[in-house]
Parts: sequence; C-alpha cells; structure tokens
Amino acid sequence: MSGTSMIARRRSRTLATVSTLFLITWLIVAAFPFLWTVWGSFKVESDFFSRESWLNALFGVYTEMQTGAPFTGDGYYGAWITRDFWRAVVNTAIVTLCVTVISLTIGTLGGYALARSGHRYAFWILIAALVFRAMPHITLVSGYLLPFFELNIWGHLATSIVVLVAINQPFTLWMLHSFFLSIPKDLDESAMVDGCTRFQAFRWVVIPVMWPGVITTGLFSFLLAYNDFAVTAMLLSQDNQTMVPKISSFLGSIQEQGNVMFAVAAVVSATAPLFLLVMFFQRQIVSGLTAGAVKG
Amino acid sequence: MAEIRLKNVTKRWGDFVGVQKFDLDIADKEFLVLLGPSGCGKTTTMRMIAGLEDITDGEIWLGDRMVNKLEPKDRDISMVFQSYGLYPNMTVYENIRFPLKVRKVPKDQHDERVMKAAEMVELKDFLDRRPAALSGGQRQRVALARAIVREPTAFLMDEPLSNLDAKLRVSTRAQIKNLHHTLKTTTIYVTHDQIEAMTLADRVVVMNKGVVQQVGTPTDIYDKPANTFVAGFIGSPAMNLVDGELRDGVFEAGKVRVTGLPTTHNGKVTLGFRAEDATIVPEGGELSAPVYSMELLGDASMISFRVGGELVSIKAAKDYRAEIDEQVHAAIPAEICHLFDSKTGARLGA
Repeated sequence: MSGTSMIARRRSRTLATVSTLFLITWLIVAAFPFLWTVWGSFKVESDFFSRESWLNALFGVYTEMQTGAPFTGDGYYGAWITRDFWRAVVNTAIVTLCVTVISLTIGTLGGYALARSGHRYAFWILIAALVFRAMPHITLVSGYLLPFFELNIWGHLATSIVVLVAINQPFTLWMLHSFFLSIPKDLDESAMVDGCTRFQAFRWVVIPVMWPGVITTGLFSFLLAYNDFAVTAMLLSQDNQTMVPKISSFLGSIQEQGNVMFAVAAVVSATAPLFLLVMFFQRQIVSGLTAGAVKG
Repeated sequence: MAEIRLKNVTKRWGDFVGVQKFDLDIADKEFLVLLGPSGCGKTTTMRMIAGLEDITDGEIWLGDRMVNKLEPKDRDISMVFQSYGLYPNMTVYENIRFPLKVRKVPKDQHDERVMKAAEMVELKDFLDRRPAALSGGQRQRVALARAIVREPTAFLMDEPLSNLDAKLRVSTRAQIKNLHHTLKTTTIYVTHDQIEAMTLADRVVVMNKGVVQQVGTPTDIYDKPANTFVAGFIGSPAMNLVDGELRDGVFEAGKVRVTGLPTTHNGKVTLGFRAEDATIVPEGGELSAPVYSMELLGDASMISFRVGGELVSIKAAKDYRAEIDEQVHAAIPAEICHLFDSKTGARLGA
C-alpha cells in the first residue's frame, strides 16, 4: 500500500471520528430537554422542581418518600383521569383531523386550479394568500371574537376548525400549487385526450403522482392544528379545549400541588404521537421536500 | 376514420395572433405535417384540433361533427406529446390500457388490444416496467401504443421525435410511417424538422407567424416554394436567395448574372436556386467569385461564396477541392432559378 493512501485513510478515519462525536454531542443537546421532561414526568413536583438540588430530579428522593417507589405515574393519572386530559386528546384529534382533511381538499383542488390557470388573477390570488399567511394568527382571532359571541358560535370545535383552516389555507395553497407546477402539463392533457374529464385527470393521473406532496402538506397542516395555541385558547370553551390550551391551564394554576406535574405528563403525552407520526411518514416527507422527483 | 376540416380557424390571445385564418380540408387516411419554426402556430393549431386550446374564431369539423365546443375526451382522437406524457405511477401495460379503461371498453377486450398495440411498437418485453425504467425511445413507443390502442378517428403527434437522439429518430420515423401505412388513420403531425416533414407527409403545411405559407405535397413544396420563407425553410441547405435587379429577362446582382429568365417582370426581385442544382464549372458561368469557405460533407463538397450580404452555397462533386479566396465559376442556368418578389416575397411566375 502506498504512503499517500495510508495518509488519506488515516485522515478519513479522523474525520469520521470527529463528525461522529459532533453528531452524538448534537443529538444529546437537541434531545436533552425532551428526555429530561420524559424522565421528570415520572417524579413528583418537589423532585422535578427541586429547590435543594437538581440531582433530586434524577434520583427522585421525594418521589420515593411520597410514593414508595423511584417512579410514579401520579402525574399521568392526575392529568388524564382527574383533570380529563383524555377529553382534550379527543378534541385535538377531531380538530386536527378536520383541519387537515378540509385544508387538503381545498388546497389540492385550488392549488391545481391555480397551477393550471393561464389567467392573471391566479397570481393575485396567490399574493393575497401570502399576505394572509404573513399575518400573526392572533390578529384574526381578536377580530373574530365579538362576532362569534354575537352569533353564539363561540366555544365550539367547529368554529375553531373553520378559523384554523382559514389560517392554514394560504400555506397549503402555496405549497400544493408549487407541487402541481412541478408536474408536467402534458400529463393531465394526455389523460384528457385519452378520455378523462378534467376532474378524472386530476383524480386518476395527477393526484397519484402528487402523493408525496399531499402527505408533506398534510403533515404541516396537521402540525399547525395540533400545535396551535392562539386560536384554540381564545375560541374554545373549557370543555372543548384541545391539548395545548389544556396544558397551559394546568400550568396556569400552580396553587395546587401536583398541577405542574399534570402539565409535564400531558406535554409528554402530547409529544409522543408526533414522533410516531414523523417516523411513519418520513419517507414520503423526504421525497415531498425534495420535490421534482415526480417526473416520469 | 374521418376527414378533418378547418374553416378559418383563428387563435388570438389579446392582441397576439397565434393562428390566423387556418383553412384546410384534411382527407381521410391522409398524413398531414404541420411544419414551421418554433412559435409559428403549428402546435396551437394541433391543440385546437385536440380540444386542449379554445378556438377564438372559425370551425373545426371531425367527419360530420362540429367539435368546437366538445371536450377533448369527446373528440375521439389520440395524441402523442413531445414529452410523451406517460403516467409515471403506472406500468407500461397500464399506461397503454388507460384509454380503454377510462372509456369503459369492455374488460375482456383489454388484454387483447393492449397486446396488439404493444406488439405493433415492439414493446412486449417491457409491459411490467414503469416509464422511469425505460429509455427515451421506449417511452416514445409506449406513447405511440397508447395512442393506437383505442383506434381513434385521428392521431395527433406533437414533435414526437424531438427528444430522441439522431439515430433513434430515423428508425422511429420509419416506424411511424409504417404504422400509418398499416392503420390507415388520418394523422396530423407537427414538426420543425423539414426532413421529417418531407419523409412522412402526404401533404405538408408550412406555417410562419401563425399564417399558412403553403400547402402541398413534399415535392410541390420543394420544387415550387410559394415564397421566400418556404424557399428558405425547406431543403438542407436551404435555397440560396440573392437580391438583385431583373431587366428584360436578365438578373443582375454584383457577382451573379443570369440570362434568359422566362419572365416579363422588371425591377427588384429575389433569385433563388438550390445548392444541388447549380454546378461548378472551369470558366464562364453565371457566378464568378472568390471562395468564402469549403466544407466536406462526405458525399459532396459544399462551396460557399459571399454575394451581397448573403452566403450562397453550391454543391460540388465529393472529390472537388478549392482553396479559400480562389476565384471559382459556377453555372446557374435559368431553368433552375426561382424568382420571388423582393417586397412581398411571393413567387413570380409558375
């Protein structure tokens, strides 16, 4: 073996070690807050928020004293059963599902129409959408509050679904519009000559090619609804609250012992599904984000 | 099977005229080629026939039906696109079957018809592949098979060969010609390649800037171009065009002097002749000028001269050699000359 390749090999090994170390460090730094929360969610408040020593959170001194075991499910029990967190989970499921489905339906149809339209107004519709996208969510909410009270529709899930769709729609339109632009027009046209109506061409030829884009956009819509605080906190009544405002309400009343731990347990409960979701759809998301892979 | 009639078909986008009063009867079983440079309106014309573009004015008839308002799917035509337009999520078999499926052709016929179409374009070995796993030529053949599978009234082909390499283009061209011979379906074919037009067409329509310049058989168009545009577009190399003065049957333009032209026209004209019709002669001749460049083509040598602002080429025997700047004579007898009006570009005389 020649000397140069020895050096090259040694250098590449050093490089590999350095980059692996860097990645591991980065992973720990990035994952630490979440891991810390997961760990702490099985402790009592006087451990996780200990004033004596932060090590208490690790070893659970008070947890052992109060419950007799180093780990406790009290936080979860309190949040899910005592304080009806399950109801918030159901509400969140309804809201996110509806927002995603409605946004995608309008978004695919609208994005397709805008992408294939030769008219000038298509451009202005997209610009207008961009303006609404740029506005802070709270501006919409504060304007809606009074009319919603007057119309007696405040507090219902359907109302906040409508508002979330309105907030989300510009983004879905833009995103799907650019996905549709990357699909050659020849594809729908040959489908139409082959015997499809415009809608059949859309349904049978364009959408199957668009799946990665639809899934990616759907995921973003899902996350927007899932993570929203401004709209759901302002527009939902106590019973109809979704997870995020519910967690916030756990935090808001710290007079009672254990409430903060309810929040911590609820946060962990709310985060876990997201991991599963992203992992499940990761392939589609990656191919959706690197769009253009749709060319035949 | 049907003839296609276009009656004063016009397409405008605002002030821009895409196609101006296109008027033509296309006979049943005819192979018609629309030929012209890019942006001349040939593709727009085809798209209007397919129904993919609205017609601003005029009428299109397929057989005895006026199809102006019909959706593409109701016109019973099939089209081959330049970029093939294959469905990437379907296999070759599913691609070819797609028109049958959406048109609700009885299921028991599908297999037989797909196989027949695939066999015609030699695709039988690739039926379970996806388009992404095919070469350009194979994709083109899938597009052809998909077009022929449902036996439509007419085929439209939009530059189907332009994405293929030169060698494949020649063989696919032959295949298209053969398919037309077998199927005898009226075909409209759009191209900017005049060789495709000459080899494939029963009739050629030469278009420029949305206006039909000439309609005729390939021979007509080659031998009697209707104007300087057609003359300059058809042939490889294109016809030589020299501006000059015509007086009593004598054409003069600097280094070119042609006598005995059978015309009574006097004044400014453009004289045209083809490189292969003129000959290099030892002395005398109608043209006498220094050689500007010489190119070897293999089967011939191409000698070019500068006449006025234009380059004039003359084809010589393959073993002919001349130095650049060498004084050379060429015979351009009156019989091979075409005369065009300098202003309008229109052909003068027969």
